[in-house]
Amino acid sequence: MSAVDAPAARKGTRTARLPRWLKGVLGLLAILGPGLISANAGNDAGGILTYASAGSQFGYRTLFLLVLITVALVVVQEMCSRLGAYTGEGLGALIREQFSLRSGAAAMVLLFVANAGLTVSEFAGVGASMELFGVSRYIAVPIALAAIWAVTVLGNYSRAQRVFLVMGLVFLAYPVAAVLAHPHWGTVANNLLWPHFVHSSAFLLLAVALIGTTITPYMQFYLTSAVVDKGVTPKTYKGERIDTVNGAILGDIVSIFIIIATAAAIGGSGPLNSVSQAAEALRPVAGAAASQLFAFGLLGASLLAATIVPLSSAYAIAETAGVERSLGRKLHEAPVFYGLYTAQLVIGAVIALMPGNLVQLVINAQVLNGFITPVLLTYILILANRRSVLGDAANGPIFRAVATVSVAVVGVLSLVVLGQTVAGWL
Amino acid sequence: MGFNKPTWTPGHDRHAESDTHFRQLKRLRARGERHARESIAARQLEGSLMSLAALLGSPVRDPDGHSVGELRDVFVNWTAGTSYPPMTAIVMRAGHRDIMISARWLEVTAPASIRLRSANAYARAVKRHSGDVALAHDVLDHQIVDSVGTQIVRPSDVYLATVRGRVELVGIEVGPAALLRRLGPKRLRGRIRPQRVIDWGAIHGFAPRPGEDEAAPRSRTAVAGQPGAAIALDRTAGDLKPLRPTEAQSALRRAGTRRAGDAS
Repeated sequence: MSAVDAPAARKGTRTARLPRWLKGVLGLLAILGPGLISANAGNDAGGILTYASAGSQFGYRTLFLLVLITVALVVVQEMCSRLGAYTGEGLGALIREQFSLRSGAAAMVLLFVANAGLTVSEFAGVGASMELFGVSRYIAVPIALAAIWAVTVLGNYSRAQRVFLVMGLVFLAYPVAAVLAHPHWGTVANNLLWPHFVHSSAFLLLAVALIGTTITPYMQFYLTSAVVDKGVTPKTYKGERIDTVNGAILGDIVSIFIIIATAAAIGGSGPLNSVSQAAEALRPVAGAAASQLFAFGLLGASLLAATIVPLSSAYAIAETAGVERSLGRKLHEAPVFYGLYTAQLVIGAVIALMPGNLVQLVINAQVLNGFITPVLLTYILILANRRSVLGDAANGPIFRAVATVSVAVVGVLSLVVLGQTVAGWL
Repeated sequence: MGFNKPTWTPGHDRHAESDTHFRQLKRLRARGERHARESIAARQLEGSLMSLAALLGSPVRDPDGHSVGELRDVFVNWTAGTSYPPMTAIVMRAGHRDIMISARWLEVTAPASIRLRSANAYARAVKRHSGDVALAHDVLDHQIVDSVGTQIVRPSDVYLATVRGRVELVGIEVGPAALLRRLGPKRLRGRIRPQRVIDWGAIHGFAPRPGEDEAAPRSRTAVAGQPGAAIALDRTAGDLKPLRPTEAQSALRRAGTRRAGDAS
């Protein structure tokens, strides 16, 4: 512990000499962190292709859903960062301590399945983007798997993460593309403010996929652990809350622009069948290079998420078991942690290499996440409601009502789609 | 390997080969015997150890054998100078409320039976006193850290034993067997087969969550039950050697003799 505290103490003496205004700016930058990253991590391969599919299949009609999902995301993310700040423990640990061991084990199995699905979609994103560059996925995916494993386990993980993050910033081109595509802003506003349901099972399925990709379980686990790692305490929580809420809103604004840009470019052309179709939406910005630009961004976003998603479940499961979990440890010092990480990477890459439509595989993984999300959200809601866990910081009556309605709506929607899917099989 | 070139010297090589064989066989036999000894000891411990995981949720019975409630937690009092804290009370769910019953009204027997000594046992509201540790709430499934703060594991079970007529907290199980036992059907929970037990004597106290003022002077149970509090060992993870069943058995025997010596 002293080794961890020492740099913080040194930093404290260094900042003490800085002028007050600079300290304020540095403080703000320090606050901007986990919330922003975790919410933007939603815009990964799965997210981008699901939003693009929503735009191409239903035009602007899913926009109101995104507004509602944003409200739910803000509520859920805020509860997670509050749990981290006030208890100093990650979600996995809290679930094991506060519920039964069986509940903890069930939550971890669900998280593992959800994240394995997501890892598949990230590797599918790597394959699809490299196919746009003319490289077969059977070459690209194994190389990506080996590179990610080596960088994370043997190399400099945080530097690689920054590179992937910068590559993923390409998607900030979407808002520009949306404006340049001259969408009908009146229709956009109307669809944002008023619900426009489409009476079809495809619409419901896509709604669940949108929920699954925006309120991803791994983001909640990542956020809580990141808040704990950052050493946020009840005293410093105010700044963290601002970051969490801002991050959730900013991340979803980008998502909304992806739908608008795709709807304006290829709206009404049915479900997305290839990645090059999704790249069409960037044509107003990049012209003939749209495809390459899209592929570059998709590659960065996929690599980033393929690194973080399996890492988040390995952290959560090792935390629940209470065993050592750190990239700073050697392979034999944290066998459970590294074993879980490697297993998920391999499972993800192998499934992504199976023949089939990559885009539909990615969207199906988001639907799976959509089914699992409400179960894990219920745990979070119960934990944040408990005064024995959070004391006076537990959910107040209004927040509790909003959070309960959000979780219930997500749950009911998932159940309806699950029922429809099962009925379709029978 | 020609006929005129002897490849085998009578006596010498043959003897060496059989020696290696013999040593391997001896090692295998010794390992087998050790396994058998550990397995017998683990089974014998079933008769002397009480598992908290098995006790939790089990019925608390009156002297006539009727169920009066369900066990929710066990309190021990861990004061300075005590290595193995004695059980002081239980928390029982009766109807829709939790009540506390003092240990002197109780008869706890291995593997998992709790009975009231009298039908007129005195029950009171749940209240934590100084030095109290609620085993299900504060210990079971909580993080164990070593003396330098490295996170080791979470206890999957907590063991109590009757030592000279007094129920004491003796150790915590950290092996995967207890974890699987708890995940399995409830009726198997009473079949205690400890594999890796940390002696409670090796526990230093409860450590606050990282980032809190760890230097602040407080008693070893001051932060017990607080969110993020961990169970702290008095040694580093490298020095920790969880007890095998035979070692746990002799530790229990020693505790019994020690107490007998103290009493005389």
